[in-house]
Amino acid sequence: MQATVGLPRSLLFYKYHVLWTSFFEALGVTTVTSPPSNRAMLQRGIELAVDETCIPLKVFLGHVDALRDKADYILVPRIVTLAKDETACVKFLGAYDVARNSVPDVRLLEYNVDVKSGISEKDELCRVGRIFERSGRRVRRAYEHAKREQRRHNAEITLQQEQALERPGLKVLVVGHGYNLYDELLGKPIVDNLKSQEVEIVCSELADTAKARRLASRVSTDIPWTYNKELLGALELYRERVDGVVFLVTFPCGPDSLMTELCIRRIKGLPAITIVLDELQGEAGLKTRLESFIDLIRMGKDIGSTQVEDSSRLPQGSGVA
Amino acid sequence: MGVNLAQVEGAYKVSFPHMGNYCIPVRTLAEPLECEIVTPPKMTRRTLELGARHSPEFVCVPFKYNLGNYIEALDIGANLLIQAGGGCRFGYYAEVQEAILRDLGYQFGMVRLLGGFDLREHIRDFRAVNPRLTLWRALKAYRVALRQTKALDQVEELMRKNAGFEVEDGAFERIHKRFLAELDKAREIRVIEDIERRYLAEMASVPIERPDDMLRVGIVGELYVLMEPFSNYFVEKELARRGVEVHRFVTVSHMVENAGKHKDAYLRRMIELADPYLKYHVGADGTESVAMTHKLMRDGFDGVLHLKPFGCMPEVNAMAALQRLSREHTFPVLFISYDEQTSETGLATRLDAFCDMLRMRKGKPSR
Repeated sequence: MQATVGLPRSLLFYKYHVLWTSFFEALGVTTVTSPPSNRAMLQRGIELAVDETCIPLKVFLGHVDALRDKADYILVPRIVTLAKDETACVKFLGAYDVARNSVPDVRLLEYNVDVKSGISEKDELCRVGRIFERSGRRVRRAYEHAKREQRRHNAEITLQQEQALERPGLKVLVVGHGYNLYDELLGKPIVDNLKSQEVEIVCSELADTAKARRLASRVSTDIPWTYNKELLGALELYRERVDGVVFLVTFPCGPDSLMTELCIRRIKGLPAITIVLDELQGEAGLKTRLESFIDLIRMGKDIGSTQVEDSSRLPQGSGVA
Repeated sequence: MGVNLAQVEGAYKVSFPHMGNYCIPVRTLAEPLECEIVTPPKMTRRTLELGARHSPEFVCVPFKYNLGNYIEALDIGANLLIQAGGGCRFGYYAEVQEAILRDLGYQFGMVRLLGGFDLREHIRDFRAVNPRLTLWRALKAYRVALRQTKALDQVEELMRKNAGFEVEDGAFERIHKRFLAELDKAREIRVIEDIERRYLAEMASVPIERPDDMLRVGIVGELYVLMEPFSNYFVEKELARRGVEVHRFVTVSHMVENAGKHKDAYLRRMIELADPYLKYHVGADGTESVAMTHKLMRDGFDGVLHLKPFGCMPEVNAMAALQRLSREHTFPVLFISYDEQTSETGLATRLDAFCDMLRMRKGKPSR
């Protein structure tokens, strides 16, 4: 019988899903992805997790649990370092062991990336691949194919983002991790709300990572977390081209608790709002806050443009409703 | 890493955050800077309130204590702050704290020692403050500070294990106070060794009475709340008052011994000890917490207290493993989270209940 690998639609899935699915498909392994997050999955995650676990990790445990009996293995990456002098958030160090201790009766398949200690993504994914395919050469070819697919995908989304930036209208940069931003329960209501207000959304997550990483040091020299560094760099990359920033943070995210504080102190002058999501999120409060934030930006733009008498700065087609 | 001295006017007055009684060796370390040393005022509720007011809402509580220490030190004249860094959010404290304090209007310099225990990096950073600093001077200060730390840790360990059973109330504390005063003045290895010997002997001769239903409890968790008694609401003293012999592995001596080139081997040992509950390192002190709890259980301890700041990521990772260990072996582990809202009464009630439960398990009547 053909082996199946389950992919939890959570955490690093949003960064690497093309890599993972292309890799396993090339090896003739079927992948099963858990459904988009729903209340019941979050509830299950909350039950399984230690109380103080951050929301995305609780959601993740819900997804792992949802894949039980749906696949032979469930893929859980363990990311320690992706570059020298950087680390991943501590939850990515622990995700595998946390899932192993918290979710009963699941067969986890981990791959462990620690570039600083000389353990690369390639070596580890190929090791995993060898479970399903004996030929090392075929596994390596599958990995290279998957890596190409991932690069193509990344280039495509970066291009889409550039196009969004060229379009007229009010533009808001959303600074937040992909696993929050694209999650059906966490980020989606916020994105939908902004879209309903005819705001063009620019995602820090979709920025060219190489460029973003280079720029990050202009905002913060010491930030140790790779994925946060990319978010910071995106802020620097786009700040001149957007009208406001939404910081999307989940409670009680360790890296974001400090990064957001520093950003707010460093980007004075650009309207910004911090939305902290917790498991008790009420939709009404969120809606009010986002609407008043966008109203405020629009009002500010109107006043600003009459004062300097420069109508070119007025957003076209974004009249105050 | 880095040194920022741009805003300092006049002579340097250096300060640092508190942690337990380690201000004694830290002062020794700072002496080669050849400037005035400003020890922050003793920790109070106000320290925490000040720190919390200006901190991000859900940052871990050591950040808030450190920030409170800095504000109180700057207010009494300090103009040069030292911060270290570690393998979790701690590594990012310095930059954010500096930004917060500057926005509050303080003018000061900041030395960020992020090299862990890398002595060469420390000396390079210190030389930015005192260009005349010789390697010899720095090394000597380092040796003396290390020896003071070791003496401090030895004496306080003896105290942890015995203070709960003293016949005369406060006997250990009185000796401890004199010990700290003498240690603070000592700057020679021989003198420190002598102080350590004398006070260990004096403490060993204090009359104690161990009850039949004595409990042995280990304390594990995040290093700051373990080592700063004010931040853990003096939990060791509270346990001692309830007739508990308290064991703790984590001290600065222990950390220095297992840092630098020993770190990888130490982590491997810890992961072995934590087997089967951990396969990998889960960050900062998390792996150690699981390993030590596993060891304490096998060594026949009655229970373990796991302390951490609210939301501490490595320790939350560890808790998943600890909860399973506790469940599978019905081994009592009390989990305590600290933040600025922690209530003293709540903690006292939980400690009472925990100790009662441990005594019941031993089949002895509750006291």
